[in-house]
Order: sequence, then C-alpha cells, then structure tokens
Amino acid sequence: MSTTQMLKGILDGCLLAIIKNKEVYGYEIAKKLESYGFASLSEGTIYPLLIRMKKEELVTATSKKSTAGPRRKYYSLTLKGEEALQSFIKRWNGLQNNVNNVLRYESDGEETKGDEHGE
Amino acid sequence: MVNEQLGLSEKSKDFLENLRLYLFSSGKNSGEIKEIVEELEVHLYEAEQNGKSVEKIIGNSPKEYMEMISDEMTIDYKTSIKYICLIIFGSFSFRIFPDLLEGNLSYSVLEIAGHIVIGAIFVASIIIGFKYLSTRKQTLKKIIITLIPIMVLPIALFVGLLFLNHSVETPMIQFGHTGSLIVAAVTGIFLIGVSIWAKTWVMVVVVALLTLPDYFLSMTSLSDKMQLMISPWITFAGIAIYLWISFKLEKKRSES
Repeated sequence: MSTTQMLKGILDGCLLAIIKNKEVYGYEIAKKLESYGFASLSEGTIYPLLIRMKKEELVTATSKKSTAGPRRKYYSLTLKGEEALQSFIKRWNGLQNNVNNVLRYESDGEETKGDEHGE
Repeated sequence: MVNEQLGLSEKSKDFLENLRLYLFSSGKNSGEIKEIVEELEVHLYEAEQNGKSVEKIIGNSPKEYMEMISDEMTIDYKTSIKYICLIIFGSFSFRIFPDLLEGNLSYSVLEIAGHIVIGAIFVASIIIGFKYLSTRKQTLKKIIITLIPIMVLPIALFVGLLFLNHSVETPMIQFGHTGSLIVAAVTGIFLIGVSIWAKTWVMVVVVALLTLPDYFLSMTSLSDKMQLMISPWITFAGIAIYLWISFKLEKKRSES
C-alpha cells in the first residue's frame, strides 16, 4: 500500500488541526505538513481536500492581498469543522491504540492476545 | 488567462492552462475553475520562488492530479447545456440566412433532426478532443492530428445528410412567407444576443460572409457559373482577413 493511500482520510484531520490553530493559505499548509515530516507528499494533494472540506462547510475561505505577489486564499475553521476535528482526534486515538497493540503483540512472536488456548 | 506578471515557468503555465481546459471540458462550474486555477497559480509561484519543481506540487502524473481535483468539483449542467444549445442553434443560423435569399424556408424533418444530431456529435467530439489534449504533453503535431478530424467530421456528416435527404423521403416543413420572416428575425436576435454575451462578432461576420457575397453577386451581370466560382472565395478570404485582423488586435491589446 502506498503512503498516499494510507494517508487518505488521515490528512483531512491534519488539515483541520492546522487550520484550527491559525488562519492559513494553501502554500503555508503544505510547508507545515512538510515540516512535520510529510516530505514525500505532493503539495497539491491538499487542494482537492480543501475543495471538499469547503463544500462540506468545515472550512471557509477568504481571499486576501499579500505584501508580495498575488492574492492568497486563507482558510479558517467553522463550528462544524471544529466538531469534525474533535471527532477525528477521538477516532484517531482509538485507531492508533489498536494498531499499536496489534503491532506490539503480534511482532514479538510470543503468545498473542486472543489466541485459542488448547487443552 | 495565466497571470504573466508572476513569471511562472513554462511548465507551470502549461499545467494551469491544461487544468483549465480539462475542467472546462468536464463541464465544471466556471467560477470554481477560476478559483482553483488561481489558487494553484499562487502555490506554484511561491514554490518556484523557493526552488521547488512542478512535480513536487502536482506529483508525477498531471492527469491523475487533474482527475483528483475534478472529482471534488460540481458539474455545472446549466452552463454546459447553454454551450450545447449555442453550438446547435448557431449552426442553424449559418444555414438559415443563405437559404432565405433563395426564397421561403422549407426543410425536411430529416434535415432538422440530422442537423441537431450532427451538432450534438460535434459537441461530444470537441469535449473528447479537449480532454485528450489537456492530459497529454502537447506537440503541434498532436494538436493538429486531434483537431483536424474534429473539424472534418461535421462537414462529412453534413455531406452525408445531404445525400440521405435526397434518397429518403420525410415530411417537409414549409414556413411560408411570414413564417420565414419570423424565423429570420428570431435567428437575427439570437445571433446579436450571443455576440453581445460572448463579446465577439465572429458569428455575425461569418453569417454575413456566407450570405452577402451571393446576394451582391446576383445583382451583377456575371454568369451563374462565374458567380458560383467566385462566391466561396470571397467567403473564405473574408473569414481569413477577419481572423487575421482580430488576431492582430488581440496581440496589440495583450502587449499594451
């Protein structure tokens, strides 16, 4: 499975978290993701997600003049977006826990949880 | 149009133009197209300022990336239908005015239905051609090889329709004198309306060049054969001159 495929859905949550913290525009989001370690990601991947999140009213966008260069489109979180972020955090924590458990117990080769115990 | 002042690389500019073409031929909302193209333009600009390659932004397959964006955008059926009607009715007007000079209008059911079907086929082939071109590396050869069949196809189909109309009998619709005048007036208003809306007089010019040479030649003392020979040349030369002048004007405008 490619990283991009694994990331689907997870990236949504990351974007919500970045946008919640501060009003940001596309290039800024990409830079932040890179600084957190998502260096192999194509930067443009965020735009289809932003379009969908805007359509689902999780974020709003306003175009603002920048000091240098063309106008930028800044994103901020709506109330609905904050709820989506909270729900993502909850689901992610649960999922992360489960995956970690599986990897921890299954990879050391010893007796694992849920094994059938014979007579 | 791509903002020239930003000084984007050719590769980035090509990508943005292709994206616009791809989304347009996918029938997406023009406001949304403008928004996403501008947003990506800003991103590519900043990325290039920081020495990043286009691939870092859009990945290795522009086609896949365009599809990803397209999937999230809404289809604008209203505008698509508007364009399709424009092309189909526009092609009717090319036929109606020259026919009016010959007298009252009368068409067979087959002619009218065939005209609409050919118009629809033409629109479909344009959409397929544009989509094909926008997702591939364009060379002049590829563009010509794609566009020539799209241009020739409707001409071939119209010639086919002409023959079919001779051999198959379908009911005739006669418009009569008043009917013909009404059709002419409606078509005239349609043409002028479209020209104002699209901010180009190309359709009016083409209809005039198709119609007027025959009309004026018929008032001269030239033989019928001579008239038939001269008329198409005036039409083609007129269209060529018109296109050349508008190209020059457009170039002047973009330079200033």
